[in-house]
Amino acid sequence: MSALSTAAATTNATAPLAPWRNTLARLLADRWAVTGLVVVASFALIALGAALGVWAGDWAAMTAPGWSPPSAEHWLGTTRLGQDIAARALYASRTAFEIGLAVAVAATLLGGLLGGLAGYCSGCRASTWVDALVRWLTGVLEAIPFYLFVAAVAFALKGNPWAMHVAMIATFWTGTARLVRAEVLRIRQMAFVEAARMVGLAPSKVLVRHILPHTAPIVLVQGVIAFVAAIKAEVVLSFLGLGGQHSISWGQMIAESTSEVLAGFHWNFIAASTLLFVLVLGVNLLADGLQDALDPRRAARSTPGPGPSRSADGRLARAADIG
Amino acid sequence: MSAAVDRPRAMAVAIAGQLAVGGALLVGVTLLSFVLMVHFGPDASFGLVGKNPTAETIDQLREQLGQNRNFWLRYGEYLRELMTLDLGYSDSTGERVASMLARSVPVTLALITPGLVLGNLLAIALALLAAWHRGGWIDRLITGFSVVGMSLSVVIVIIVCQLLFGVVLGWFPVRGWNVQDLGSYVHHVSVPTLATVFVSLGYNTRVFRAVVVEELGRDYVRTARAYGASPVRILFRHVLRNALIPIATRILFSLPLVVVSGSLLLETQFGIPGVGRLTFDAIASGDQPVLKAVVGLSAVLFVLVQVTADLAYRWIDPRLALR
Repeated sequence: MSALSTAAATTNATAPLAPWRNTLARLLADRWAVTGLVVVASFALIALGAALGVWAGDWAAMTAPGWSPPSAEHWLGTTRLGQDIAARALYASRTAFEIGLAVAVAATLLGGLLGGLAGYCSGCRASTWVDALVRWLTGVLEAIPFYLFVAAVAFALKGNPWAMHVAMIATFWTGTARLVRAEVLRIRQMAFVEAARMVGLAPSKVLVRHILPHTAPIVLVQGVIAFVAAIKAEVVLSFLGLGGQHSISWGQMIAESTSEVLAGFHWNFIAASTLLFVLVLGVNLLADGLQDALDPRRAARSTPGPGPSRSADGRLARAADIG
Repeated sequence: MSAAVDRPRAMAVAIAGQLAVGGALLVGVTLLSFVLMVHFGPDASFGLVGKNPTAETIDQLREQLGQNRNFWLRYGEYLRELMTLDLGYSDSTGERVASMLARSVPVTLALITPGLVLGNLLAIALALLAAWHRGGWIDRLITGFSVVGMSLSVVIVIIVCQLLFGVVLGWFPVRGWNVQDLGSYVHHVSVPTLATVFVSLGYNTRVFRAVVVEELGRDYVRTARAYGASPVRILFRHVLRNALIPIATRILFSLPLVVVSGSLLLETQFGIPGVGRLTFDAIASGDQPVLKAVVGLSAVLFVLVQVTADLAYRWIDPRLALR
């Protein structure tokens, strides 16, 4: 008995990790994915340093006359108020990571849980209404243009600094929920789920322990996509004056610079948009590599982007919507 | 044989189902925008009461404005407004919201249509080219460019386009919409169109390419090739016709979102008096009657497009009707 349980314990400890190790190996063999990984890691380091106060802590200080050109002291010059642009741009990567991580984690968890629940309840006699409810909610949230939804939420929350985060989380979960629901519907029919049910496990345990772990690849990729979508959306929202005001972000810098560039002062714009572009490109490369590494068949088809069956899905419409 | 007999019946079932889904979605989107913008929205009575109001005068005013009524009665009133297009008067200009929309919608359509048409046609052409040469250098070039394109924030694209064509080259105006004839229309619409095409091209090419690649792997393509059909004939006569449904779906689904969100950015930055500018001003000044009309109407339109599209596909493609 004890020998049996230790044997089970050791296989449990190593077996679930093997596919992930293969995934990692495939990811590291893809040079574009590695490039993306390096970019994201460097930005994470910059953000961490800014969060810990190692650098760029004085981004708000007015240390020089306004609109100074680049110099040894201020590498990228200063803003209209005399703040160091380089420090602001570096500190803004902290803001980007804060928004990206908060939205990605919350939205994918919400989407994974609701999508899993919907898929599991779909077609059950007693609880199929849960599926109908989640699908209805998804459809409703996807029918309202994103920026209008954010404006409406900001309207309802009356200037709450978290209005933007709330609006993004409330809309970004739907794509994950759709995909996870479809995956759960597929997995639900497999023999091991039937076996778990036969043994007498409660439905909630079957779902959480046996089905949801298999949706991890989808949730992971969706998390990366939500991360980059949140960062891009923040830029547009700040540009429209709907973003947060309590810190400095690339979106705020670009919004600030719109009148400056036409007057011939480019540094604010160049600093913010270059960092933004490099980070977003890095995350996109990583997301592509991750998708290929997690689904080798997809890589073999060498079909970038989601498969055709998903081409009509709301996330993509949403992604184009966010721009 | 029986399929042919069942088709009208399947169609009737599909219509009934779509009407039920569409009705539920309509209730959802209107309820959501009502709750966010009317129920939690600003209390107009504060602006209207004079100095030092008593509790009675405030209450009287709210009674007059109908703000003391039951939640469902007010929701019913909102629904009536949306259905009859009797949308009240703007808080900031006092103009009828319906006539503001009647004036700005054509401007937005004129602004956004060339970019949408060109962007999608170009994306389809690039997708066909890339998919035909799958894995070759043309494919890699196109997919590489589309990753770069989707990593550029729409805000950056707009500012760079303005800077390049408006300031550096000085070919086109940067602000305003002074359109009398075709020449002045082209003059004003060129730069926004270029920005729209650039922003949408990356995502669209990727998704369309995936659709075409999937379609090229089918048996009928192999057969057509074996018969010696030319690439042009295979791509345009066979593949494109089959790929058109998922592609059209994606375009249709992204339409309301792209039109509203895209025009929001383009029109604010280029100073064009369309729906986007109207919405932006309403967001900035907290103009509730305008905002709730735009959000409500665009969501309702989206749901209607969705339902109609689904039924149209079933009509066009008999395979779908039997699913």
